[in-house]
Amino acid sequence: MSSLEIDRVSKTYGTVRALRDLSFEVRAGEIFGFVGSNGAGKTPAMRIMLGGRAADAGEVRGNGAPLDLEARRHVGYMPEERGLYPKMKVRDQLRFFAQLHGMSDTEAAEAVDRWTDRLGVGTRRGDAVEKLSLGNQQRVQLAAALVHNPLVLVLDEPFSGLDPVAVDVMSDVLRERAAAGVPVIFSSHQLELVERLCDRVGIIRAGSMEAVGSIDELRRTGDAPWLLSWNQRTDPAAVERALAGVSGLTVTPLPGRTDAVHVVALPGSPGAEQSALRAVLDVGEVTQFAPDLPSLADLFRDVVSQETTVDEEVAA
Amino acid sequence: MSTPKPVMLVAKREFMTRMVTKSNIISMVVMVVAIAVLAIGAKLLLPDDAEPEATRIGVDPAASQLTDFLEGSLVAGPGGVAVTELDEDAGRAALAAEGDERMAAWVTGTPEAPTVLFEDAPDPELVAVVEQAARDAVQAEVVAGLGGDPADVQTALGSVAVSVDQVNAAEQEFDPGQWIVAVVLISLLLFALIGSGSMIAMGVVEEKTSRVVELLLSTIRPGQLLAGKVVGIGAYGLFQMVVLGGALVGVVTVLGLFPELEVNLGLAFLLMLVWFLLGFLVFALLFGGFAALVSRQEDIGSVTTPLMFALFVPYYVTMFLVPAQPDSTLSKVLSQVPLFAPFMMPTRAAAGVLEPWEMPLALAITAATIPALVWISGRVYRRAVLHTGGRMKLSEALRSTPA
Repeated sequence: MSSLEIDRVSKTYGTVRALRDLSFEVRAGEIFGFVGSNGAGKTPAMRIMLGGRAADAGEVRGNGAPLDLEARRHVGYMPEERGLYPKMKVRDQLRFFAQLHGMSDTEAAEAVDRWTDRLGVGTRRGDAVEKLSLGNQQRVQLAAALVHNPLVLVLDEPFSGLDPVAVDVMSDVLRERAAAGVPVIFSSHQLELVERLCDRVGIIRAGSMEAVGSIDELRRTGDAPWLLSWNQRTDPAAVERALAGVSGLTVTPLPGRTDAVHVVALPGSPGAEQSALRAVLDVGEVTQFAPDLPSLADLFRDVVSQETTVDEEVAA
Repeated sequence: MSTPKPVMLVAKREFMTRMVTKSNIISMVVMVVAIAVLAIGAKLLLPDDAEPEATRIGVDPAASQLTDFLEGSLVAGPGGVAVTELDEDAGRAALAAEGDERMAAWVTGTPEAPTVLFEDAPDPELVAVVEQAARDAVQAEVVAGLGGDPADVQTALGSVAVSVDQVNAAEQEFDPGQWIVAVVLISLLLFALIGSGSMIAMGVVEEKTSRVVELLLSTIRPGQLLAGKVVGIGAYGLFQMVVLGGALVGVVTVLGLFPELEVNLGLAFLLMLVWFLLGFLVFALLFGGFAALVSRQEDIGSVTTPLMFALFVPYYVTMFLVPAQPDSTLSKVLSQVPLFAPFMMPTRAAAGVLEPWEMPLALAITAATIPALVWISGRVYRRAVLHTGGRMKLSEALRSTPA
């Protein structure tokens, strides 16, 4: 399978519209980060991808064809609400899942050993899942998503509750699967991680996709402010006077800093920030002058703050 | 993937996770041992009815003409009467003696006026035996005096046989032996059905509580999951029944307990297994579908209580109605009702009151309701199994489209 497409999917729970015309695509070999505030619709979207819930409208396609039960056997899924049989041994449990996905006994046994070793729970194969720590249960849960060599990975909050070592292992696994051509989509609230790991990001709000693109694309949309900073020998008051003399410019002080400001050229005055640089150079020494691209967290806050009414009721 | 494979995988998991646990193996062994111990204990404690002992009576040599009439008594209890000639001193001693020396009574006097001596309170039955023997002796004397043969008279009296019949056949007594067998078998059936039904309900809710159901349903259909559960837990329940019921039938047969029982235990047990399977399918589907309505173990009771009633009502009705009126119209009609049939049919079969058409018809009716139950339970299960939170209403589950 080389891509996963979500095409105008809508879903209503009772009176709550959880998803409205949600559309995006996860391409082959790419890691797609799915972010959004609580209740924005990430989990319903992922559940619909896996067929656990039927969509009211729209379609989920794998490689152009509707994602039916047969195709879903090749999807690795990690549900948001972790689910394993508490009293079943790790080995038996993972073999059961591998076989449900169509593996033979021997393939399943081999894959279970490989993935439990890789994820650092190889010594716990003979233990009941409920005896494992939450972090280790999480690793087993990931093993359950990976054990059948899936052609698509859909992971809901795979990093929550993991220690830094496990986060690294998990990141490596996701990169490796993507490198093998598998489309990988995961949701997370750990935005630095998403920024570091993902090729593309989608920000969902109130059930529809607000922004999709690579991190760089997203950061460059809109006019980024320029950061202008100066050294200690420069008098901030002189800088302030110099900037006041530049027309077509908005100056925003940075909270807690006296050695830097944000400058933005007003529409209609392109290049005003360059004039600002010249003006400041006349009165002091500039240490930094560069577009201050927003972090994913900033973008996320921007998107979220657009929400006029936060839909508290949407099922997470 | 073809349908049978995931169903069998689920069934295998259900079976194995229940079989291969220490607690299961231990409890099965304990129960089989308990059955054997109880049966052996019963064998040792129950009176050995096969050779009832004779009642021993001492007779004064002076009253020895009573001896033949006492030993040939028609009114004595099982085992008859054994007579030993003892003089008065020996007789009195024998009344107080222990073991084989002991006599229940000592008889003296003439046949016209015998005296019976007991150690303690007189035994009225024994007095009656002596009285009858004395009458027989007097009668024999009179018959001989009239020129007849007293032996012919005795033979003629011995051949008297009264046949008993009654006008109202429905009031016919149910053989207590058959009743006990029937109660034991339907109790076993009841416990097996409750046990398996609860296992299904707990299994369904466990998957909902642990949320593993979401992972399962990303690969298999809800119907396959429910079917696998029913097959796996059914196989486990059947295994338990065969082991425990088989042990029971086995020890009863081998030890020869209840020899007077006129029931073919093996056949009755086999019949019960057939009805267990049908009853299991009916109830397992109901339990599985209903249990999907709730999400927590604490809430199971609210959905299984009506089903428990559906099990206990037929059980008690069978236990009290069938022995009283095994052949009444009510019994016949209820025997054909699916929820009642698994209890009524084996019991009435054990009583031997079935018309030839009744059993096949009941089997067919129950079997015919199963597809309908599959449809209803499957529908409820599909709609409710991914529903979390509070209890889902049954009507809601039947009406709504899958969430």
